[in-house]
Amino acid sequence: MKRIIPLLLLVIILCGCSVTSTYSGSFFAMDTYMTITVCGNNPEKAVKKAEARVKKLDEAFSAHNKKSGVYKLNKNGSAELEPDAVELLSLALNNYRITDGAFNPAMLSVTELWGFPDKNYKVPSENEIKSAHKNVKPEKITVKNNTVKLNNKGMKIDFGAIAKGYTSDKLIDTLKKEGIKSALVNLGGNVAVLGGKPDGSDWAVAVENPDKKGSYLATLKIRDKSVITSGGYERYFKKNGKVYHHILNPKTGHPAESSLKSVTIVGKNGTYCDALSTALFVMGKEKALRFWAENGLDFDVILYTENGGLFVTEGVSDIINSDFDYKVVKRSDYE
Amino acid sequence: MNKRDFIAIGVVVLLSVLGFVFFALKGSGGQTVKISVGARVYGTYPLSENRELKIKTDAGYNLVEIKNGRVFVKDADCKDKSCVKQGEISGGSIVCLPHKLVVEVTGEGDFDAVAR
Ligand SMILES: [Zn+2]
Repeated sequence: MKRIIPLLLLVIILCGCSVTSTYSGSFFAMDTYMTITVCGNNPEKAVKKAEARVKKLDEAFSAHNKKSGVYKLNKNGSAELEPDAVELLSLALNNYRITDGAFNPAMLSVTELWGFPDKNYKVPSENEIKSAHKNVKPEKITVKNNTVKLNNKGMKIDFGAIAKGYTSDKLIDTLKKEGIKSALVNLGGNVAVLGGKPDGSDWAVAVENPDKKGSYLATLKIRDKSVITSGGYERYFKKNGKVYHHILNPKTGHPAESSLKSVTIVGKNGTYCDALSTALFVMGKEKALRFWAENGLDFDVILYTENGGLFVTEGVSDIINSDFDYKVVKRSDYE
Repeated sequence: MNKRDFIAIGVVVLLSVLGFVFFALKGSGGQTVKISVGARVYGTYPLSENRELKIKTDAGYNLVEIKNGRVFVKDADCKDKSCVKQGEISGGSIVCLPHKLVVEVTGEGDFDAVAR
């Protein structure tokens, strides 16, 4: 009878996820469609916990939900925020500093002029942009305990370019606490994975081709990483034959003219990846690659340019599979 | 270990391999298109069969077409028409946020998620 135990163990090891099981839950939150796939013991319970966490974070971060602290902060110039929102604000401000303002969480009043939040698109006049833009001064924001003050009339913050990355980090933490070792979190195209796939292989994440929906620039093999893409192609409008996309250059208040179609960041920290995908898009190719060369020890970059060039930094070169002729960028190119 | 142990281990290994093969094959009967509205699954269809689906719900109308191994939203009465603009796919998903409609291609793909 003693033999039974090692045999059972063997069965469990060999069957992997067919003994434990996989569960996938999908729902709408943060104005997008989310899917959480989990393999482990009682995966459904873990997914439900993660979903509840998303709903809570959504309420804490939303700039248009009247119950959220962020909404009250923008309306009154001062408000108490949820601890998660306070933490996210400090991470956002830190990214503002390290990217020299290419990532800016205080642009909402300018973004609203263009109609991006409510999809009532319009091209604002230069005067309108100037008067909203001069109030964008993130340096003035103060945080004491959980009370945030903007200290500048007309300035509004929003977490749209960083909230999903932060949320994916928190979800991976939630799943780890549930004892999960294999999971994929897809928050409307912001992807994070925990461990490898149930069968032990790496997760495969495709990067969308901005020129042709349903085709891909590349596929990446990853574990314990986030893959986050930003590009003008995600949201834009056309007026008098000109295309206006939703990523504003914080320095000008106009859509960033960056020579890039999309920027993908691969790294361990989803919050950082999310903020950098926007910041490096705004920087444009040369500045973005220089930023990577000087700061990129914990992230890698995939750039797709207006004229169809694909550039990948050296850390991705051994996890990438692409039909494109891509160029590998080395840190030594920038010494 | 004696002979009986080896046989027992052999049986276990064989069962595990069979189990693995079963689960591997189960997912792969070709790719399927799963259409859901909100939390409700509207239907699943093979990606290999051409068809047109008129989906009318309280939220609105979407015309989904499966054609030559690809699926797309041909027409919709939502405000932003972003589901129509998302074009044809053979992997990943198309989402119509205002109608809470999701068209998802599942099954043996070359990847597990699409970053966009
Ligand atoms: Zn639609």
